[in-house]
Amino acid sequence: MFEAFDYPFVQRALVEVLLLSLAAGTLGTWIVVRGLAFYSHGVAAAAFPGLVLADGLGFSATLGAFGVALLFALTVGQLAARGRGGHDSLTALVLVAALAIGVVLASDVFHSGANVETLLFGSLLAVDDADIRLAIVVAALALLATWTLGQRWLAVGFDPSAARGLGVRSPAADLVLLVLIALAAVATLSAVGALLATALLVVPAATVRMATRRMLPWQLGTIVLAAAEGTAGLWLSFETNAPPGATIAVIAGGIFALVALARSAATMYTRTRGVAQPLGLRPRVAFENSPEARSRGGEGAR
Amino acid sequence: MSGLASAPLVRTDALAVGYGAAPVLSDVSFDLRAGERIGVLGPNGGGKTTLFRALLGELKPLGGALDLAARCGTVPQTERSRLDFPVSALDVALMGAIAGRPWWKHPGRAERRAAREALARVGLAELADRSFGELSGGQRQRVLVARALVQDARIVLLDEPFTGLDAVSIRRLEDLLDELAGEGRGVLIATHDVEQARAWDRVLCLNRRQVAFGPPAETLSLDVLAATYGGSIVTLPAVAGEGERLALLPPHHHDHEH
Amino acid sequence: MLDVLTEPFSQGIMQRALLEIVILGAVGGALGCWIVLSELSYGAESLAHGMFPGLVVAALAGIPLMLGGAAGIVVAALAVALAARIPGIGRDNGVAVVVTTLFGLGVLLALSPDVPPGIQGLLFGDILGTTSGDLLLGAALAAVVLVALWLLHWRLLAVGFDRVSAGSVGASPLLADAALLVLLAIAVLVAVQGLGNLLVVAVLVAPAAAARLLCRRMLPMMVAAVAIAVVAGLAGLYLSYYAKVAAGASVAGLMVAAYLLARVGSLAAAARA
Repeated sequence: MFEAFDYPFVQRALVEVLLLSLAAGTLGTWIVVRGLAFYSHGVAAAAFPGLVLADGLGFSATLGAFGVALLFALTVGQLAARGRGGHDSLTALVLVAALAIGVVLASDVFHSGANVETLLFGSLLAVDDADIRLAIVVAALALLATWTLGQRWLAVGFDPSAARGLGVRSPAADLVLLVLIALAAVATLSAVGALLATALLVVPAATVRMATRRMLPWQLGTIVLAAAEGTAGLWLSFETNAPPGATIAVIAGGIFALVALARSAATMYTRTRGVAQPLGLRPRVAFENSPEARSRGGEGAR
Repeated sequence: MSGLASAPLVRTDALAVGYGAAPVLSDVSFDLRAGERIGVLGPNGGGKTTLFRALLGELKPLGGALDLAARCGTVPQTERSRLDFPVSALDVALMGAIAGRPWWKHPGRAERRAAREALARVGLAELADRSFGELSGGQRQRVLVARALVQDARIVLLDEPFTGLDAVSIRRLEDLLDELAGEGRGVLIATHDVEQARAWDRVLCLNRRQVAFGPPAETLSLDVLAATYGGSIVTLPAVAGEGERLALLPPHHHDHEH
Repeated sequence: MLDVLTEPFSQGIMQRALLEIVILGAVGGALGCWIVLSELSYGAESLAHGMFPGLVVAALAGIPLMLGGAAGIVVAALAVALAARIPGIGRDNGVAVVVTTLFGLGVLLALSPDVPPGIQGLLFGDILGTTSGDLLLGAALAAVVLVALWLLHWRLLAVGFDRVSAGSVGASPLLADAALLVLLAIAVLVAVQGLGNLLVVAVLVAPAAAARLLCRRMLPMMVAAVAIAVVAGLAGLYLSYYAKVAAGASVAGLMVAAYLLARVGSLAAAARA
């Protein structure tokens, strides 16, 4: 039944996904705490034209993707540091521009054909040794950065204004986080695809968040869950010949839904078992629409 | 205006409000009469904003009674509103004309005239077409007062309206509040400045519950202030021409409550 | 010279594409202003992705795409609303989870071996394949959105200006949010035909973001956004016709280019002032 993992290319993909689980487990929790889900989605999608270029011109795909993703990280980081607002629209704009450029490049310049789907949704066959090296680097950096910068990221995550008041907010630490997410997104590209990087980077962390509120168990749990979901996804994708990114996304989403259901069932159970809530005095609210209030209009402001 | 109505505009009895099941503000029993200015005092997190949100109907009372004779107009803190939002001062004043109109009706010529008159009353006639975000802090507060005027609100709530204003703007706004009260509106002003509140008709001291309520001269004793602000009060030595003054130590940090 | 401009539109395909551009430009530009100001861009993007399984199922079953898309949007919106209510997850993460799952599901359906080719059109749009029926339905839905925006204008303005005090002037933030989301769903349905799942967010964000840099009042901003959307869309059709590049991608790309142009222009103006 598990002969899938006898094939060297599946083994490579498995190593890749397990390494990425380390990065996803640590970075994913920060993405959820700091509300960077859209950014993660955008940075992965932004790498798409870089991949197409690399594919068409024949240089290293990782280099192409990472170049574009880094550009994206620096742009968004710069804009976010300069002012509030518009952050969200800009992410959307860069994202859609990247997709449009990628499509034009792929279909009309290089005629990449079926490769587009591989780039967007991942492929078991696409993982090579360079990807594994990148995944090792990303995982190591993610662990190291969490170890050294975690406290700063946490302080900003819970209350940005208070963190600024305490002098914790340092643009450098934030930028490191953005760049690391970009790196992780690029590392997930070959296996998961440009459009579904969030399947590993966000969904497992959000799932474990429902079960624990403390940082360390959350991160450990996310690593384990991401590894399990990634392995299951690879196996299923081998069996069904479907893109691994989409398979992992559906598995991860399904587990999220199951945990959410179990959680609400558990709260409902304790609520019905528990002592009935004390009945407070019913509040009385009167709202009289007085004649003066009704006859407003032109004569209102004398 | 109908003059001093005998029934109060706002009356609460043992009012309790909060965001979940546990109240963050309780035991509030006060009334606001027509033509009255009430200063609402208290530390950050003491419940001033929570009380206003209850009066605006955003929070349902958890207990006790809350009677309103009319809908409240509000002058929120302007650093919370969007300064980059594409509206003019006139647009903001016109928003006061939405209330009480059918939802499909746009403000018409009569409402525009009323909005311009209201802006003229607050001394901003010539700035009506300026972008709201380009106005100074004091001017923004007055535009929001104009919005309450267009709404013809009989109850006007002001949330820390003097924060960050210069002395001239403070004077202008104080005069405007006196005028509002003079024409029979009830005015509730949340403030940090105890000395300023002494000039108003009554004060309501809140610190997660009602500490005291009454005319400032009788109410603002050292004990009440200590209970309101949790002891962070110092007495300043008498200066020539004035008696002893109380001063409040600044709160620990300047975060907004909610 | 004039021939160069009129020649593309001698064919029925291009005439319908032109009408489609006008329709989605009007809807996307006008509604986009509210999307950009309410920071709903992620929501717009995710509704488009979230409806993907609905579109694929409709394409496979041979029912009208709009119908499948509408069902997909309802499911996506409900799922986002439920996920966002979970403590500690919040809106953005909830959106990410739901969209990733639904999009993955759509891809699985679309790329399974026994599906006919051509479903890529759902991803990147097929503006040249617009039928008269599509146009009629699109125009009707566009009219609904524009009329609703006109009627709700002052309430949306009051809520957008200051959520906290909007209730005191009789404009409910909850109702305004709900109205915007429903209109957004309709607009995505209108635009997805031409631009596809992945590019639909271009018309909803780029023209409005450009107009925001140029205008300082809501109504001029909406008019400018519609104009930018239609002009950029038209230019995209020409580009696609003469340079033989993908139509949806060139329309979307030029809308973003219009934003860049506005940004450079406003920076230059600020530097001179």
